[in-house]
Amino acid sequence: MTTGRTPNQAKGSSRQTGAFPLWAGAAIVLLVAAVVVLLGLLAFSIVERRWEAQRPALVVTPIAEWEPNNAVWGQNYPREYESYLKTRMDTSKTKFGGAFPRDYLEGDPYQVILFAGYGFGKEYLQARGHYHAVEDVTKTKRIKVPVNAATCWTCKSTDVPRLMDKMGVKEFYAANFHDLKGEITHPIGCQDCHDPETMKLRITRPALREGFAAMGRDINEATHQEMRSLVCAQCHVEYYFKTDAAAGLKNYLTLPWSKGTTVEAMLEYYDEIEFSDYVNPISGTPIVKPQHPDYELYLTGVHSYRDVSCADCHMPYRTEGGVKFTDHHVQSPLLNISNSCAVCHRWSEDEIRGRVEGIQAKVSGAMMEAEEALVQAHFDIAAAVQAGAMDEVLKAARQSLRHAQFRWDYVSATNGMGFHSPQESMRLLGEAANLAQQARLEVARLLARIGVTVTPQYPDVSTRQKAWDVAQTFIKGDGTKLFP
Amino acid sequence: MTAMERVMSILTLRGLPRFWQVSIYAMVGVAVGVGLFVVRVANATSYLSDSPETCMNCHVMSDAYASWQRGSHRHVAVCTDCHVPHENLVAKYAYKARDGMKHSYVFTMRAEPQVMELSKGAIPVVQSNCVKCHSDQLTMIRLATTSERKCWDCHSNIHGSVRSLSASPPSLRPGLPDAGLDWIKKGNQ
Repeated sequence: MTTGRTPNQAKGSSRQTGAFPLWAGAAIVLLVAAVVVLLGLLAFSIVERRWEAQRPALVVTPIAEWEPNNAVWGQNYPREYESYLKTRMDTSKTKFGGAFPRDYLEGDPYQVILFAGYGFGKEYLQARGHYHAVEDVTKTKRIKVPVNAATCWTCKSTDVPRLMDKMGVKEFYAANFHDLKGEITHPIGCQDCHDPETMKLRITRPALREGFAAMGRDINEATHQEMRSLVCAQCHVEYYFKTDAAAGLKNYLTLPWSKGTTVEAMLEYYDEIEFSDYVNPISGTPIVKPQHPDYELYLTGVHSYRDVSCADCHMPYRTEGGVKFTDHHVQSPLLNISNSCAVCHRWSEDEIRGRVEGIQAKVSGAMMEAEEALVQAHFDIAAAVQAGAMDEVLKAARQSLRHAQFRWDYVSATNGMGFHSPQESMRLLGEAANLAQQARLEVARLLARIGVTVTPQYPDVSTRQKAWDVAQTFIKGDGTKLFP
Repeated sequence: MTAMERVMSILTLRGLPRFWQVSIYAMVGVAVGVGLFVVRVANATSYLSDSPETCMNCHVMSDAYASWQRGSHRHVAVCTDCHVPHENLVAKYAYKARDGMKHSYVFTMRAEPQVMELSKGAIPVVQSNCVKCHSDQLTMIRLATTSERKCWDCHSNIHGSVRSLSASPPSLRPGLPDAGLDWIKKGNQ
């Protein structure tokens, strides 16, 4: 035996050299314990992740027929509910959209002129996520006090199907918005699209069902893939409030689809019943304000042609563990490119974003061009009025302007800055600009005929405040003088 | 003390009281047992094989498996034919080991992406494996040596035209392979 290798070991009284000191035992115990813990954790993780691939969906509590509370549904479908709760986030921004309550009137004062005399000229914000629907509709300045149509609640809450069931559909629409405030508390959620028993997608809003019927179609024949768009189309469509005393209808939510879902078909419908949402006081033009015809515009696009549904891009499938579910965080696909676009378009995120934003920038450019022509057309007609032209001779110009503004707004009011159907959007904006210029041409000829050779001077509407002040002069009086 | 004696003195835990010696042996036995359990439930030995079922040990690959199983390549190639280098055995197993470590880390940490892409390191491997089998179709058009375009830039549907962990419906996804515990279940002879 040699001597110990370290002085410490050499001092050990009874211990042999090269043997373990007593503390080594304790060290080994700790070491082995740590190894066992780590291996145990790994084994547990493996077993758990094998199990999650086989675990069936468990329904814990049955859900009542008109259950409006999303949290109750969430007990049974935690993944869907937790992702839905993310629609609460209101800071996301894409180049043209996102869930941030962007102020359109600040960014684009022309719209104050185009919506003069209408609620949208007062306040026009990008809508926040579904989670905020009830809160935002009660806060918007567009809701009138003390009386406003209860129809405005229709797309805001899971309480609506329950109330329609209780009150009757006609009676619900005819009620006063403010009277139902206490009854309506839960924002857009589960109940709006799902059967509580089977979770099958279902239509809960009568307007879409009736819109299909008006076209001679039965919405019950829709396939599951079509339903993944149609549940969205319950609200993301063009509509108006129909009042017909003879039929006992007041503010009855109606989709103008009986002649079809194209812009031309809807305008023909509106012209036939001489409907307008408001008369623009600058030009005296009766205007139809499209709401958000996302579904109709999408129908003309290539994604629709390829049977890609709203949910495929806005609520893409996710797999967590072995469980496949639909991501209920409804949002711009540009905020989730890798899980939405890249499923089919196998390029890098930057390439995809560049492509989409390139399309949107072109639509946005065409939109601003059309908008400028529209604003000038409103002022040109106002100038003709100030020069003494009568309503009768301005009819054709106003009709052109009405059709032009509907086309422009059809693209402007739709989400996605034209991406839902780029070619249709560009077609409509081209027509909008052309029709607005035709209205201006009409006025120019008219002025020439009555011997006015001075060019109208357009007022400064370069900021929201300036545009607002100019609009007010027309709303409250004879308007800003356009001839010096 | 010879080297042999030194090893033996460590293995026999010389110098420790008998109680400690027995306890430590028992504990090491427990650790080895748990280790063997992990090897079994993780199907660890299957990773040495080329069986495509191995890749499905974690369900991230279920869709890749389902789309391969319904594609034309199923007749001629398995996962490793395309996704692992074949220059020599060392390169193959080194690549497998490195990829496997990365995959098991990502899977355990739940960091898997919803839509998978070939990693930087995998691109040349898969490309050369395409060429290995299809070289006779490439010689005349001089694509075999091209570097700027990959076969799948055009032939993008090898695993189906829609790619995502969720792309295939559940009914097309086979269950996870047996981890050796199924004999416990009743009626599973």
